Amino acid sequence: MKTTAKDVMVTSFKTLSPDSSISEALEIFKASKLDGKTIFGILVTDKDGSIAGMISMYDVLLFLLPKHVKIWGNISDIEIEGIIDRATGKLKNLFVGDIMTPKIISVTPDMHLMMVLDIMIKKHVRRLPVVSNGEAVGMVYISDLFNHLLERV
Amino acid sequence: MGKDTLTGLSVRHAMRKQLIVLGPNDTIDCCIQYLLKYKVNAILVGENSERALGVVSKTDIMGAWYAGLPLSTPVRMIMNSPPFFCNPDDTLDSALNIMKTNKVYRLYALEENSNAVVGAIAYPDIVGLLYHYCSHCEQGIFNKSKDTVQDRVKRYKVHEIMTKQVESCKEDTLLESVVEILSASRFGAILVSDDQNYPKGVISKTDITLCYRHGQDLSVPAGTIMSTPVALCYEQDHVESAIKSMILKDLHRLFVVPEKHQAVSGVLSLTDAARLRSGSCHACISSRIRVDKN
Repeated sequence: MKTTAKDVMVTSFKTLSPDSSISEALEIFKASKLDGKTIFGILVTDKDGSIAGMISMYDVLLFLLPKHVKIWGNISDIEIEGIIDRATGKLKNLFVGDIMTPKIISVTPDMHLMMVLDIMIKKHVRRLPVVSNGEAVGMVYISDLFNHLLERV
Repeated sequence: MGKDTLTGLSVRHAMRKQLIVLGPNDTIDCCIQYLLKYKVNAILVGENSERALGVVSKTDIMGAWYAGLPLSTPVRMIMNSPPFFCNPDDTLDSALNIMKTNKVYRLYALEENSNAVVGAIAYPDIVGLLYHYCSHCEQGIFNKSKDTVQDRVKRYKVHEIMTKQVESCKEDTLLESVVEILSASRFGAILVSDDQNYPKGVISKTDITLCYRHGQDLSVPAGTIMSTPVALCYEQDHVESAIKSMILKDLHRLFVVPEKHQAVSGVLSLTDAARLRSGSCHACISSRIRVDKN
């Protein structure tokens, strides 16, 4: 039975640099959907291969969310033209490094899958980079972990 | 109505409970990321929420850039310490008074028993609350069924509460001068205008912190980094429609023109709207008679 992070990690995964544009990130998200395996987060690495952070769909959506959206419920006719275009337009000047999540948790190749699962559940994350000698060597996705653990049921 | 809209409300009603806390050794770079990500103008620095050490604002970040500090500088070097606190059970009025007296734009709510910071309150949060009241008030502009009452009530117009002194620069003004002007100003943005004072663009403190993070040079002209178009409203617009526009467009301020295609005559920010301390019409200010002047 395969029991460690390296047994379920994927070793082929896209990465971005902190100064990649947001549109590069969006392209990767789109392409993954076309490939049939939608990814929701992309690892961001520095030139030396060390992890700089992770950019997820959530990070992009969080940036789109208007600051005072909780008041919107009190506004009866929300018709101002171009609200969504205005919000997405703000992404144009940004780099991946501006809105990525910088402090992320990683696991080692030899970490037991149950410990990987524990981190995913406690920290509410769905993907974890696997790091060996300071470099990202793989990604564990919660869906792969799920399929691996439950294939015998 | 006939009484102050904020009467009986405590800080707890309006404060933001989502607190972003940076460690003292986190870098300016990290601080800019969090300012952008959470759309806040300042971030608390502390060991944890029980030991708040200071606050770093966008103005402090601009100052760091101007001083030539690298992005890797720890925030403890540039933070303002200690933060200004209030009690979550303080009235909103007293919190506004603390902000006004100390010329600060936000307070952190400190729970007495645990000494933990449980929330933050800034002027725009109060606008939200006021907007909520206006939209439920039978005399408010939004209540179209009660037009008999509405007609009797004088509603605030933008020109009554806007700030008339607008900081501006030209497209060829160097970013360094823009930073100098904005650092000395209580405003979060500067208008970029042409010789006739027609609006061309805006540079906010957020834009400047982003330039710092992107390794831009302070010697570039304002025109190269300004945001366009300038979000405008008219002097005769009702304050509540201007506020609505800011809330929907996710803007902190609107520049004011007397009429279409005219030069800018003022600026209205969510902070100005909060300083009014009342709803958007004279119905709730009549007994209070207290409009804070800038």
